[in-house]
Amino acid sequence: MLDRTRTTLSDGTTIDDLINVQTREVQLRAISDPELYDIEMRKVFGKTWLLLGHESEIPASGDFITRLMGSDPVLITRQKDETIKVMLNVCPHRGMRVCVNDAGNAKVHTCIYHGWAFKNDGDFIGAPVAGEQMHGTILPKEKLGLTQARVHIYGGLIFATWNFEGPSFDEFLGEMKWYYDMLFCRTDNGLEVLGPPQRFTIKANWKTACEQSASDGFHTLTLHRWLGEFAKFGDGDLTTSMYGTEVSSLQGHSLRCMPVANKFKQAKDFRDGNLTIAEKLAIVPPPGITKEMLPELVRNLTPEQLGLLVDSPPQVGGMFPNVLIAFIYVPQPDGEIIGLTSLHTYIPKGPDELEFCNYILAEKDAPEEHKQKALQFAVRMLGTSGMVEQDDSDTWPHITQTAKGAAARNITMKYQAVCTTPPRPDWPGPALVYEGFTKDDTQWNWWLAYRDLMNAPA
Amino acid sequence: MTMNAVIPTDVSVAEEAPFRPNRVPVGSPAYNQIAEFLYEEAWLLDEIRLKDWVARLDIDLRYTCPVRQTRSLAQNAQSIVRTVMHFDETYASIRGRVGRITDTKSAWAEDPPSRTRRLVTNILVESTEDPDEFEVKSYLLCSRSRFEETTLLMLSCVRNDLLRRHGASFKLARREIIVDQTVLGFPNLAIFL
Repeated sequence: MLDRTRTTLSDGTTIDDLINVQTREVQLRAISDPELYDIEMRKVFGKTWLLLGHESEIPASGDFITRLMGSDPVLITRQKDETIKVMLNVCPHRGMRVCVNDAGNAKVHTCIYHGWAFKNDGDFIGAPVAGEQMHGTILPKEKLGLTQARVHIYGGLIFATWNFEGPSFDEFLGEMKWYYDMLFCRTDNGLEVLGPPQRFTIKANWKTACEQSASDGFHTLTLHRWLGEFAKFGDGDLTTSMYGTEVSSLQGHSLRCMPVANKFKQAKDFRDGNLTIAEKLAIVPPPGITKEMLPELVRNLTPEQLGLLVDSPPQVGGMFPNVLIAFIYVPQPDGEIIGLTSLHTYIPKGPDELEFCNYILAEKDAPEEHKQKALQFAVRMLGTSGMVEQDDSDTWPHITQTAKGAAARNITMKYQAVCTTPPRPDWPGPALVYEGFTKDDTQWNWWLAYRDLMNAPA
Repeated sequence: MTMNAVIPTDVSVAEEAPFRPNRVPVGSPAYNQIAEFLYEEAWLLDEIRLKDWVARLDIDLRYTCPVRQTRSLAQNAQSIVRTVMHFDETYASIRGRVGRITDTKSAWAEDPPSRTRRLVTNILVESTEDPDEFEVKSYLLCSRSRFEETTLLMLSCVRNDLLRRHGASFKLARREIIVDQTVLGFPNLAIFL
């Protein structure tokens, strides 16, 4: 039975049939179903806030980049007044993609099909043969501009949504904002991209990558075993480094905070409580921060945030629906610790394909040499050739394929590793807090957020 | 308004290097040796003889693969981006990558390994001021098959190499891989190009 609050597939299956809240299981069918994909485009990617890039990609007036919001191509432009607009990159005349370049600078965007022209804020300027009224007289010019998205800039990151009536960006981040601010809003001048993103395709459903991004820790121990075996992370034992605190929310966001004392021998005295925050910062600065930049952290964060960033910084996590966040330490032989900052978006390109888009960032105020080192290590570890992530891209297509089997489609993915350790009483931050060894709670929260959106009235 | 106000027509042509530089003729002894080096290299990589391949790299190696972007004809020079790249490697980092594959039992991206075929063609060689160093352009079409996939993944590129004579053969001192795709059709670059 069809009602407005439920999504029902043509065979009668509902979202609640696919996602069993009581047993924390998701039917494997949810990964590959093309009908479900179509609904996701409208109810998830048509409704929620999406990460599209960073404002440092378009520093000057007239600069533009083109990206995807779900399946919709969008044009992102810098205005004369320095604000940023995001608009549907589809000509209202006959549906041609107006701008066919990835990036550039232009005052006017002209559709190559019939020549309709738009200002870089999306306003319709005119069509050729103006005297002959090519665009007609039925609609006023004001109605012929490019469809605008709702935009929010957060820590320099460009977010947009088609949902003008939906939650504000702050409401979308909810309690998790307290943690994200520690990463994106901690320095005076913030982050910048070190170049355009790497982009490549994987023959996998977007949700395989995205539920993993919601802080799946277990896969690190097996899929990324070489990190202990060869790179000698955690002195060869990755298990010890998987103890920490995971924070999450019912909006599907999450971060894994990992105690520095578990990772580095330089930080072994962090536990005894005798060191001040300033002393700890000087020994192991948070990923991406140099010693010279420490006063900025003190200015921009609360003492509670700063204390957590020093002792147990967020290292990996996700932002619903399709963002992976990586703030990773890479210790150097000379004792220096380089911090990698990277964001991935996993863009759906059909039920069986995703585009992996990898942004590499650094603090604007970091010295050039530090940025270049961070960039090189980020390229070597993450993204297209990244030694960590090249392994992930083989698992996701297999899952996407197996989800189609007559038998396999009915088996369930299980998120039944539940955290039972109570949160530390001195934990300073808000949101849902999961203490101890990494478990499945944060990924389960991702599915609950997905379920909420999919069940919401269209 | 007129069309000219909407569509810029002043497409400027950038200054380019001379079309025929100090070409080493096709079929000359040096050319043949270089072609053989590139064919052997392709064979070693396709056969996953990675340590043999590393032995052909010079210790001052720069090995990069710029990101590509779709740009207008007028801005086509900016389609090659050398900030964030797909590969940004040195001799030491390449050895690290190879070591991960050869010395662990968990380099899953290539275990089981891809079946690859590197087709090297259109080799053009230029001499340089150093008689032992050659600038070499080659086209590479790399096909890749994983698991039961029947459709080959394809990647085409031009490689701008610097080969340095070492005794009777050469070593690779520099390689820049200019790929043709802005969005790579490979799910990763766990193989070398």
